[in-house]
Amino acid sequence: MPIIEVTGLAKDFRSGGAVVHALRDVTFSVDEGRFVTLVGPSGCGKSTLLAIMAGLTSATRGEARIEGTPITAPLPDKIGMVFQDPTLLPWKSALANVEFPLALRHVDATARRKRCTQLLDLVGLSEFADHYPHELSGGMRQRVAIARGLAQDPRLILMDEPFAALDEQIRTRMGHDLLEIWERTGKTIFFITHSLTEAIYLSDTVLVMSARPGSIIGTLTIDFPRPRDLDIIGSESFGRIRNRIWHLISEPQK
Amino acid sequence: MGAALAGHLIFAALLFGGWELAVRFALVDASLLPPLPQVCAILWGFLHDGAFIGDLELTATEVAVAFLIAAPLAISSGFLLGERLHLAATFNPVVHLVLAVPQSIFLPVFILAFGIGFLEKVLFGITHAYFIILVNSFAAVTSIPPALVAAARVFGATRVQVYTRIYLPAMLPLILTGLRLGMILCIIGVLLAEMYASRRGIGRLIFGWGESYQIPELLAGILLVSILTIIVNEAMRLLELRVARFYRSAAGS
Repeated sequence: MPIIEVTGLAKDFRSGGAVVHALRDVTFSVDEGRFVTLVGPSGCGKSTLLAIMAGLTSATRGEARIEGTPITAPLPDKIGMVFQDPTLLPWKSALANVEFPLALRHVDATARRKRCTQLLDLVGLSEFADHYPHELSGGMRQRVAIARGLAQDPRLILMDEPFAALDEQIRTRMGHDLLEIWERTGKTIFFITHSLTEAIYLSDTVLVMSARPGSIIGTLTIDFPRPRDLDIIGSESFGRIRNRIWHLISEPQK
Repeated sequence: MGAALAGHLIFAALLFGGWELAVRFALVDASLLPPLPQVCAILWGFLHDGAFIGDLELTATEVAVAFLIAAPLAISSGFLLGERLHLAATFNPVVHLVLAVPQSIFLPVFILAFGIGFLEKVLFGITHAYFIILVNSFAAVTSIPPALVAAARVFGATRVQVYTRIYLPAMLPLILTGLRLGMILCIIGVLLAEMYASRRGIGRLIFGWGESYQIPELLAGILLVSILTIIVNEAMRLLELRVARFYRSAAGS
């Protein structure tokens, strides 16, 4: 049962006098509870697609639907999001940042404190509830952002290259921990990255996007058993999948 | 904090110690540099002198009125320019040109246009404070990371919530910096107007004492104005620091 259906989606920008085609005829669907990753070259319109799916901007043609409803505005109770930049409020503590989406909707303070304390625990930061963002490392900030994305208990989490700014060791660790969180919460995750390794290691399905104008040029099912071990990254089958995606991205499209 | 306090104490010790030594060893003509205790006694007398207090109150009122008019005007103009960048493209260069010119040279024009008195002094204070607060308010709006606003919208923030929960707290440190600098310039503007041409006010008194060689009164007046402006500035700076504690990583997070 698809939770997300994107059909014939296109986005044109007007830049100066010229029209830029950012996305062209993007069609795919995401099944409930799946971990789906979108990879593609820089500037292929990945983030634009995510912004449309988040309801932040509108499509020129086509549409994105969640549970059958067209997405025309942010839907905080259905869609949570984690950005490349943690976008935490610097004047709020870690806990208050996680509570922020609930505070916006005037959820009772005791209830939201209880829920968000649990979420901080889930991302391994229960001891840092009172710390301010500037007192946390880059990885910890992104953990707070993940907990915040879960705060309104949405069924879908959109993640826009969330680990791109982290060094490789932290990044690998974060991916591993994200899988654990995903398995424990049963959310659907739609993840954007330009790291093929990250995409294959994390996902059930990898969608491959072409250079601008972006469109889906490949859908790969990744069936390594779960829970996954980091050792699979060195395996032969992992390398084969990686090469296939690499060829899809690097070969010129008609 | 401790280091700053030590610095202040050392500066005060050098200033007043040097003053005392200069007087004691007659390094400076006694009529040009009266002893500190004498100046302090005169200052103490001023504080019990109704006429002096009246002048002080007038100056303080002029500064307060000018600041209270300039601050909201400047903050909202800066906000408007920050939110409407096509307007900023037109008006920002003008603002920077105005800031580059020493405003003191326009004082004669103000006097010709508005006469000598309360209105002219307040207007001169307003134009001194307005532009620097505007520039800081503009910087405050444009420094808000767009991603922060996008995140708030994804989490369901209404337009009003974006302003109250993102814009306002995010802008606060730079707004406070602007207000503090604006207050300093506002005081400068009003005192300048008083010293140049005025019938009343603390600036007029200080200028008059200088002209008539009343050195102890002159020094007492300078000392008092210095202390008062330092208190105002430090109070605003403490508020600024308190708020800014949480913003260190605002750009980096």
